[in-house]
Amino acid sequence: MLTLNNVTKNYGKFTALDGISLEFTGGVYALLSPNGAGKTTLIKMLTTLIFPTSGEILWNGDEIVKLDARYRGVIGYLPQDFGYYRSHSPREFLRYIAAVKCVPRDAARRKIDELIEVVGLSDVRDKKMRKFSGGMIQRVGIAQAMLNDPQILILDEPTAGLDPKERVRFRNLISSLSKDRIVILSTHIVSDIETIASRVIMFRDHKLMTNDTPAAICDSLAGKVYETDNLAAITAPYLALTERQDGGRTITRFACESDCSAVAAAAAPNLEDVFLYVYRDAV
Amino acid sequence: MNDRERDASIDLILSRGLVKPKSAAAVTREMLRGLGLRFIFWDTAYSIIFAVLTLAPIAAVLLITPTERHFTVAFALSPALFLLITAFAETAERAGALYELKRTCRYTVRQITALRIACYSLAGVVYCAAVTAVSANSGAELVRLLTLCLGSLFVCAAASLAVMRNLRRRWVNAVFAAAWLFANTALPARYGAEWETLLSGVPYAVSAAAAAAGIAALILQLKSMLTEALPYADA
Ligand SMILES: Nc1ncnc2c1ncn2[C@@H]1O[C@H](COP(=O)(O)OP(=O)(O)OP(=O)(O)O)[C@@H](O)[C@H]1O
Ligand SMILES: [Mg+2]
Repeated sequence: MLTLNNVTKNYGKFTALDGISLEFTGGVYALLSPNGAGKTTLIKMLTTLIFPTSGEILWNGDEIVKLDARYRGVIGYLPQDFGYYRSHSPREFLRYIAAVKCVPRDAARRKIDELIEVVGLSDVRDKKMRKFSGGMIQRVGIAQAMLNDPQILILDEPTAGLDPKERVRFRNLISSLSKDRIVILSTHIVSDIETIASRVIMFRDHKLMTNDTPAAICDSLAGKVYETDNLAAITAPYLALTERQDGGRTITRFACESDCSAVAAAAAPNLEDVFLYVYRDAV
Repeated sequence: MNDRERDASIDLILSRGLVKPKSAAAVTREMLRGLGLRFIFWDTAYSIIFAVLTLAPIAAVLLITPTERHFTVAFALSPALFLLITAFAETAERAGALYELKRTCRYTVRQITALRIACYSLAGVVYCAAVTAVSANSGAELVRLLTLCLGSLFVCAAASLAVMRNLRRRWVNAVFAAAWLFANTALPARYGAEWETLLSGVPYAVSAAAAAAGIAALILQLKSMLTEALPYADA
């Protein structure tokens, strides 16, 4: 179990994260917040790249920085800006990372073949990565994070820059890799995690705001989301969420504290509604 | 205490990490087996090529040095190969896109860097010998010049490593190399013949002792880089 106790991180006078307490036991944890909320900061603390200004991070009861190599041995990490070697093939690159991760050579060879298969790069496993698309590079990134069969898999915005097809493939991949381990991934794209996250963690004003299942988070807006094609008819104060076109009409989805069921159709809230609602005044 | 309990408490002790830490030699053996030279020097080829290309015109100064300045020049240039390689390779490593990822792996950047630095020092010795061979005017001078060069190399290497480990900034190695070059241009420029006299007057016992102290300091640092447990994984 990975535990954060009252973790605060300051950059000089600026507080990036303030008194965060969390517990990760197993399953997919999604850090869902707008830009600059502190997702990367949290992830860098979990990967021992930076240290909390105060508070502690424990892995099975021991401080992660004291565990040193023993902790780094159980994590797999995909950084937000994943650097890779353009002039190497995925197989060579993975061999290198496996060696640095201290995975024995024979085990590494087997694991690399297996992972290349899992991420669907078998056809290009000996091609130079120079010609790879963003999605392919990101899949190499996931494969390298999985080399040591980590108990904690940490992915910082793994879907940034991926096309819809790659996103779907990626979602399925994460979901299949999340058995028997903790997966922590950050994103500001709701659809990436709506179906796969077992818990969604949201920050606001650099503090922990929500840590709950997607269903429970959606429930927090139950009875407040409506749809209408005639926004002018709504007299109570409301917050416009999203718009869509439907047979020439513009349907607006909005959130309203008071009952609008007389003038608009009630809708089941989704995670995107909550995101827009919660971060309505965030710039 | 029955066997079961004893095993459990041994497991507990092991899991708490109270096992004897591995020796530097054991870590080195393990890393050489696991990583091999290819992965230890992975991605350093360009840096080393650039370092050698930069060294060529600098080392050429040796060939045109007038005899009355050869101690000055040999002293200044003996750590040049080591400093240039570390400046290029370690700066490139820290600026590299994969640096962050490498710092989260089980073998630390620090351990891998230690093995590389050990190799660079050996290359530095060979280069020093060449510098001495080119610079010495007589057999008698050879030993004196060689010990001076080795002293210069190892004191410089140990100092640069200490600075790198304590400051942990991206540009430390490059700044150190530049500072060495600057000091060894400024001092001769300011003191000229006196500087040459000073260097050529250093008894070999003294320069040999300096070299030995430098080697010892370097080895101690490399050993702790290989074995110490620190919260961060940087070199
Ligand atoms: N090294 C640093 N020094 C000073 N401020 C920093 C540093 N790193 C991050 N910050 C600030 O801390 C805040 C949180 O940054 P962080 O990178 O954790 O956000 P994020 O949630 O990952 O954002 P994004 O979605 O854009 O990646 C930001 O306001 C950022 O400007
Ligand atoms: Mg980020």
